[in-house]
Amino acid sequence: MIEHLSAEQISQWMVGERTPQLEQHVTGCAACRGELAQLESTLSQFRSAMRDTSSTVGAPAWREPAPSSWFTWPRMALTAAALVILVVAPLSWRAHVEQQNVREQAVQVALSDSQLLESVDSEISQAVPEPMEPLVTLATWNSTAAQKQKLQRQ
Amino acid sequence: MAPALTSSQELDDFDSVVRLYWQRVFRFALASLRDRHSAESLAQDCFFRAYRARASFRGEASVSTWLMQIAVNLVRDHVRDRRLQFWKRARQTAVDVSAAASWIADAGASPEAAASTKERVQAVWDATENLSERQRTVFLLRFVEDMDLLEIAAATGMKEGTVKIHLFRAVQAIRERMGRAK
Repeated sequence: MIEHLSAEQISQWMVGERTPQLEQHVTGCAACRGELAQLESTLSQFRSAMRDTSSTVGAPAWREPAPSSWFTWPRMALTAAALVILVVAPLSWRAHVEQQNVREQAVQVALSDSQLLESVDSEISQAVPEPMEPLVTLATWNSTAAQKQKLQRQ
Repeated sequence: MAPALTSSQELDDFDSVVRLYWQRVFRFALASLRDRHSAESLAQDCFFRAYRARASFRGEASVSTWLMQIAVNLVRDHVRDRRLQFWKRARQTAVDVSAAASWIADAGASPEAAASTKERVQAVWDATENLSERQRTVFLLRFVEDMDLLEIAAATGMKEGTVKIHLFRAVQAIRERMGRAK
C-alpha cells in the first residue's frame, strides 16, 4: 500500500497514466485526492484565464487572398534564367559556328598550301621536264645494259 | 437535418473556418509567444497558409488538428528565428494572465481564495515560459486546448510516448514552480 503519491506519481496521474494501484490509493486517500483536485483546479483556472485573455482579439474578417502574383521571386529568377538562355545561347552558338567555319577555312588553306608545295617539290625534284622522261628511262636502260655486257665480256 | 460536413468539405467555406478556429489558434500562439501582436500575426499567417494548402488537405485529421499542426510549426519557426537574434526586442504588447485569473476567481470566492488562485495561475504562467519549446507546446495543447494525446501527437508530429514524456516533465516543472509560489 502506498503511503502518499510521490511527485512523479502525481505527474503520472495528470498525464493519464493511472494504474489500478494509483486509482485504489487515490480513492482511499483524502490528502492525495485533495492534492490532485487542487492541481486540476489550478490548471482549469489557468485554462479559463488564457481563454479570457485571448478572447479580446476577435477573428478578423476573412478576405480571400488575391491570386498569387505571377512575379514572385522564384518565378522572376526562373524567368531571368530562361531569358539569359534564350538570348545568350543563340549568340554563343552563332559565335561557336563562326569560329568553326574560320577553323575549317584555315585547315583548307593549309591543305591547299601543302598540296601546292608538294607539287612544286615534285616538279623541282624531277631531273628533266615531264615530256622528256621516257628518254631518261631509255638512257638509263641503255647504260645499264651496256654495263652488263661489259661485265660478261670480262 | 443536414448531413455532417466532412473535414474536406468544411474547408470550402473558409470564412466559417476562420470564425470557428480563430480563437484556438490565436490563444495557442498567444500562450506560446506571450505577445499579442506576434500572436495575431502568426494566427493570420496560419490561416493564410491553410487556405493556400487546402487542396492538399486529405481529411486524415480534423480541420482543427490540421490548423494546430500549422500553428505549432509556425510557433517553432518563430521561436527559432527569435533565438538567432542578438537581442530580444522588448515586448510592447506582453500578456498578463494574472489579471484574468483574479477576475475568474472573484466569482463567489473569498478575497483570500481569489488571491491564492491568482498566485497559482501566475505560477503556472511563469513556469510555462521556462519550459522547453516541446514541453510548453504539449502542455498548452493538453491543458489549455484540451486536446487528447493522440491529437497532440498528430499536431506535433511526435509519437504518443514522446508526447507523454514531455507532458510528464512539463507537469513536474509546473508543480515545482507552484510549490515555490506557495
